[in-house]
Amino acid sequence: GAWSRVSMEASELWVGFVGAGRMAGGLVRGLLQAGKVPAGNILASAPSDKNLNAWRELGCRTTHCNLEVVHRSTLVFLATKPHILPGVLEEIRPAVGSHHIVVSLVAGVTIQTLQRLLPPWTKVLRIMPNLPCVVQAGAMVFSRGNNVGDEEATLLKSLLSSCGLCEEVPESYIDIHTGLSGSGVAYVYLFAEALAEGAVKMGMPGALASRIAAQTLLGAAKMLLETGEHPAKLRGDVCTPGGTTIYALHQLEKGALRATVMNAVEAATNRACDMAKD
Amino acid sequence: MSVGFIGAGQLAFALARGFTAAGILAAHKITASSPDTDLPTVSRLRKMGVNFTVSNKDTVKSSDVLFLAVKPPIIPFILEEVGPDIEPRHIVVSCAAGVTISSIEKKLSTFCPTPKVIRCMTNTPVIVREGATVYATGTHADVEDGKLLEQLMASVGFCTEVEEDLIDAVTGLSGSGPAYAFTALDALADGGVKMGLPRRLAVRLGAQALLGAAKMLLESEQHPGQLKDNVCSPGGATIHALHFLESGGFRSLLINAVEASCIRTRELQHLADQEKISPAAIKKTLLDKVKLESPSLSVASVNKVSLFTNKNKKN
Repeated sequence: GAWSRVSMEASELWVGFVGAGRMAGGLVRGLLQAGKVPAGNILASAPSDKNLNAWRELGCRTTHCNLEVVHRSTLVFLATKPHILPGVLEEIRPAVGSHHIVVSLVAGVTIQTLQRLLPPWTKVLRIMPNLPCVVQAGAMVFSRGNNVGDEEATLLKSLLSSCGLCEEVPESYIDIHTGLSGSGVAYVYLFAEALAEGAVKMGMPGALASRIAAQTLLGAAKMLLETGEHPAKLRGDVCTPGGTTIYALHQLEKGALRATVMNAVEAATNRACDMAKD
Repeated sequence: MSVGFIGAGQLAFALARGFTAAGILAAHKITASSPDTDLPTVSRLRKMGVNFTVSNKDTVKSSDVLFLAVKPPIIPFILEEVGPDIEPRHIVVSCAAGVTISSIEKKLSTFCPTPKVIRCMTNTPVIVREGATVYATGTHADVEDGKLLEQLMASVGFCTEVEEDLIDAVTGLSGSGPAYAFTALDALADGGVKMGLPRRLAVRLGAQALLGAAKMLLESEQHPGQLKDNVCSPGGATIHALHFLESGGFRSLLINAVEASCIRTRELQHLADQEKISPAAIKKTLLDKVKLESPSLSVASVNKVSLFTNKNKKN
């Protein structure tokens, strides 16, 4: 009915964050950088000022009261630690209406759980972002709950596309996304560090090596995304017969790098599943 | 056009069989010679209608295209023997791994000022007309000579011209390649048997799977990586299996294999260039003696035994 009709214009949207930690901070920075939502329209709550100072510096408004966030926002991001969330949901439940769009960033908490702890008419979505949202190069997947229509999903997607890649997926993919991209960012940092170390071993100064390593990863990723070619093909394109690259790749294959990476994604995904069950 | 084979072992047989099956050459236009008449391939060649003789000179006289289908260390002796009979019309095609064009031309130059030499690297599946062949033309071989050989070899599979310095790599890849495939097929069949399939069926299915995959790749524009992805449903059986392959370093093992074969070919070539084997008249008995004395021969047998005259070869 009329109750659930709210302005879907991002610039007129009142956005709230319950919890103001690193992930929430990443998202809000992305949103602000993209100019989608004015800082003044953003309200964040946290138990202490520790994180909130940074938000105020961005121009956002802050509070220590979770209920206030819910009262004053249409789009509410839940960004608490997993063990805090049930208590918070109990607290804000009375204030949640059918006009709210509740988006949970909380790792391991399923839509089923969220819907159980919130009023039955609540529009619930679950999102898994990753850290590079901070620099608008994030990878996010989200899933919708029972009451969410295309309008809300589209709104969220268009808002968050300002932070990077944002795709709707079945909820079963969310743990896989954690293993691939949530944790995946750390695998890349490890790889970058190792690349640089190799260069240092061969005589290049560390700082320069690190910058070049990062740029190499960035450039390769950019080519992947922009050409749409299969990575195996792009790899082949770099390999001159008998040249340096194929020699190096042979070393990587000897070290079973591929299998190790697959193991890593599998381990993180399984861990995410296990944690969700707790 | 007549074709001759010095040597009447697996290679000669495979090529003769392939050419005749392709209809590009009649059996009676083919001559093969060997001092050893006990080879199983000799009777098979005869049955095909190929002219068999114990005289290498006869083979040379009755051919236009002359294949040297003997083991690499024997090549110098053959060249000494038939050199005087080589005429300007002859195209001498060496299939011996690791034997360079320049070494052949050098040996022949004492008899013939401008010998036409082509070096070729093929593989056993020429027998079923699915060979992989490359060739490099020597100093005095014309474009037409190369094209003639290409026509012949294209009738038994894929054939293309390359620079000579790539031939060792080709040996490592497609020369030895069928052996890698046979090993893989044996193991795949074992896997099938372990999971309950009868052996014959397992072998048949494994071979067909590889055949089909190879055919798909050859007929597709897509990268093998993409074709692999197309088979891997998310969370499915295949991706689980591939993870095992990757964990075992499957890819690197194959890279290692190609590298090892190529490097070994080069080593053997260097050994041959140093002419560790003293020149001697070639008689059947001396052949055996040479095999026993030369270290390079005893290990040459592991490299490409199937292609060369080997009276101990089981079928």
